[in-house]
Amino acid sequence: MVDVPQWLIIILALVYAPIIGLFLMGIERKLSARFQGRIGPPLFQPYYDLMKLFSKEALVLNRVQILYAYLHLAFMMVTVVLLVLGQDLLLVLFAHAFSTICLILGGMCVRSPYSRIGSHRKIMQMVAYEPIMILMVIGIYINQGSFMGRDVFLLGKPMLLTLPLIFVAFVVAGMIKLDKSPFDVATSHHAHQELVKGITIEYSGPFLGIIELTFAYEVFVIFGVMACFWTTNLWAGLGLALAGYGTMILVDNLTARLTTNWMVRYMWSIPLVLALSNLIWIYK
Amino acid sequence: MNKAIIVTALVAGPVLWGVVAGLSKPAKMRNAFVILGSFFTIIAGLLALKGGRFTFSPGPWEAGLSFALELATILAILGVAIRIRSRPILYLAALQLAVALAGHIIGTGTGGVLEPVFILDALSMVLVLVISLVGPVIVLFAIGYMEQHAHHAPPTAAGERRFFFIMLAFLGAMNGLVLANSLQWLASFWEITTLCSFFLIGYDGTDESRANAQRALLINTFGGLALTVGSFWCITHGTDTLTGLKAAQLVIPMAFLCLAALTKSAQVPFQSWLLGAMVAPTPVSALLHSATMVKAGSYLVLRLAPAFRGTDLMVVLALTGAFTFAAASFLAIVQSNAKKVLAYSTISNLGLIVACAGIDSPLAYAAAVMILIYHAVSKGLLFLCVGTIEQSIGSRDIEDMGGIMYKMPFTTVVALLGMVSMLLPPFGMLLSKWMAIEASINMPVVMFLIVVGSAFSVLFWAKWLGRIQTVSFHPRYTLEPLSPFMRASLFILAVGVLVLGFGSIILYRDILRPMVTGIFQRIPVGVSEWSIFRADSEFAFWPFIVIPGVFLILAIISSLRIRREQVRLPYLAGENVDMKDWSVDGDVLSYSFRTFRDRFEPAWSSSQYMRSSVNEAKIVPWLNMVAFLLILAMFGKIHLL
Repeated sequence: MVDVPQWLIIILALVYAPIIGLFLMGIERKLSARFQGRIGPPLFQPYYDLMKLFSKEALVLNRVQILYAYLHLAFMMVTVVLLVLGQDLLLVLFAHAFSTICLILGGMCVRSPYSRIGSHRKIMQMVAYEPIMILMVIGIYINQGSFMGRDVFLLGKPMLLTLPLIFVAFVVAGMIKLDKSPFDVATSHHAHQELVKGITIEYSGPFLGIIELTFAYEVFVIFGVMACFWTTNLWAGLGLALAGYGTMILVDNLTARLTTNWMVRYMWSIPLVLALSNLIWIYK
Repeated sequence: MNKAIIVTALVAGPVLWGVVAGLSKPAKMRNAFVILGSFFTIIAGLLALKGGRFTFSPGPWEAGLSFALELATILAILGVAIRIRSRPILYLAALQLAVALAGHIIGTGTGGVLEPVFILDALSMVLVLVISLVGPVIVLFAIGYMEQHAHHAPPTAAGERRFFFIMLAFLGAMNGLVLANSLQWLASFWEITTLCSFFLIGYDGTDESRANAQRALLINTFGGLALTVGSFWCITHGTDTLTGLKAAQLVIPMAFLCLAALTKSAQVPFQSWLLGAMVAPTPVSALLHSATMVKAGSYLVLRLAPAFRGTDLMVVLALTGAFTFAAASFLAIVQSNAKKVLAYSTISNLGLIVACAGIDSPLAYAAAVMILIYHAVSKGLLFLCVGTIEQSIGSRDIEDMGGIMYKMPFTTVVALLGMVSMLLPPFGMLLSKWMAIEASINMPVVMFLIVVGSAFSVLFWAKWLGRIQTVSFHPRYTLEPLSPFMRASLFILAVGVLVLGFGSIILYRDILRPMVTGIFQRIPVGVSEWSIFRADSEFAFWPFIVIPGVFLILAIISSLRIRREQVRLPYLAGENVDMKDWSVDGDVLSYSFRTFRDRFEPAWSSSQYMRSSVNEAKIVPWLNMVAFLLILAMFGKIHLL
């Protein structure tokens, strides 16, 4: 195998991650449309949307907002960089959490009731899925004896075989991360809720573009982590990730949005118990 | 000779300056002495750093002196107990006096082994630097704060002369406490800090502050009794120093000393005294929470931890600390009183230190020392900020802090920095929490509690951060008027937070790692633990600094390019008040919307405090009970029960 310099990996990852993410978002819109009996937008619609957002005039409520849009993206980029460098998975998790916290703070710093409520719900979303993420990292540690992401590839056998329940729990957590029904309490890609657009309601133009770009990175991260559950064969990994992602889209279309309290209760019971029992199973 | 000067300068120096300041009546002269005393303390700390490690025994007369000091402090507590008519304190102090005297009479001596009386090693050095660099800055802040405080203090408040005397003496006593190797000196300084905190908490003299001061004295006297019992056990088993105790590995006195440490560090179930302490003027809270008092407890645990490696005591201690961490972070969520949030956050961080000391790994030990340092600076800064904000807006409720970014940009930015440093990279708290979680991988329950506690702490910090930075668009900001002492202290601590934050990796690699390696040198540590400890040197922390740094600059550029015309009102379902109603002199004043009968109502949404599902008064007794059972288990595990 060719020894690729680190900086090249980082640049490639930062450039290609959103492209892949946007492509996946395009597939999602197409699939969702077909589920709903529509033709749906072109596959590359997310790219056009993003370009249009960046060409619009910047309108804001205050200056602090802008800061957090940028930091939201910055920490998501840190997440991607750490992941592709195979760094410590807890650090990856932290970086990911900070990205979300920046979005929350961006929603809170304006005097808009809608975005404040959205922010608070986003916090509750974090409370709901963060334990599962950490249990996943613990599971990976028990599996391979280190926290380093790159050691997943040294294992020699797919992680899915030892951590199947954690994979299921992660798919559910990923649905919260990607604001899919029934968990899309803080914001939604469909404008049909009482919060209007929730946490991002006061963002527009290029700053909303930054947030959409970050979302593309996030789709890539979730997709990539799912693929890492089968490391021995590239196609099997891709298939696994596509299956997970497809499940998310399917459930998104099958269910309606439920309340925040229900979400926390649900996440702290069924997926958490799944992840915990997986841990007990492999605990040495 | 040199050593004698350093020890005297660290311990007696601040006390003497305090006496001089306390004796001078004119305010200007007193302030001058307080400033001199503060600078002197800082210089003494730096001298200690330059002088390096040493052990020091003044001479045979010290035993008599320390015994006299210990008796004097216990008698002082007795006197206070009689004056405030508190029977429990009286009984505890009397019992303590009896145990101390009994120890002196029937003590078996040390069998000719002479241990040093004072030791300045790496751990004491860290504490000395925290005390004598952060402490004086808070004292300087107090000069400006107390001038303001005098205007609206209740008539019962004690004089400022006594206030500054005790503040400075507190620093000296704390320095003595962390330097002392002899148990008698340790106990004396321990009691002095208890007394100092009692007087400072009760400073305002109102019913509430007196009651809270009394509670602080009661709980800390209980801790003092535990300490005395511990040293009684040591003296009757052939040693009277911490090094001797560690060498002899006497687990039972260590458990008593840990109990004393838990009371002083306000761990659940002893947390109520620290929560009550917030009635004192803010510099007192800042001092109690950052440089002094609560740090004494965590110091003692860290001092003893390497000696009881592998015992059950250690496991229970880790559980107790981790439980406090999670419980206090949880309780902080439902608070809207800023000082109470800070108090619970202090308790939880101290819990994390205790947990790390008990996790039994070099990595956790390094994390504990790191938390101690970062917490001292950040929490000191945050308390000073809350004090400043409270004097300006007349409230310490977080919900009232919306819009202060415009009213007091300097303080708000400094406060934001302090909060961010408790939460976000590249600041050290995050690094140490991460180290703590990794180190606790072999203790699943502890790890779970630490993870849950960290999630809760993110929650309450995020709510507060969101509230204080809520601001409308303003073309320009003007700095608020502030006493030069307050501004300077805030500035110094903010710079400290920044420097320490960006230097966290260097601090860990170049100072803490060698220190911890030294402490664990002669102690058997498993190969896998060392490998986790060493693996941390290869982690990539630079993306945390480089990428957000670049985007921070981009964000500042693009926010400066925003013009007045690009500002809009929030979406309120089309019911906003017209532009001409809300704009005066280019500043956005309010976000009102029209309700029925064309009335204007401001748009407002509160933060979530989950009070409908969490009732603090009902939960606390249960938490206390669990913690009490854990402490019982601690004594049960060492076969004392």
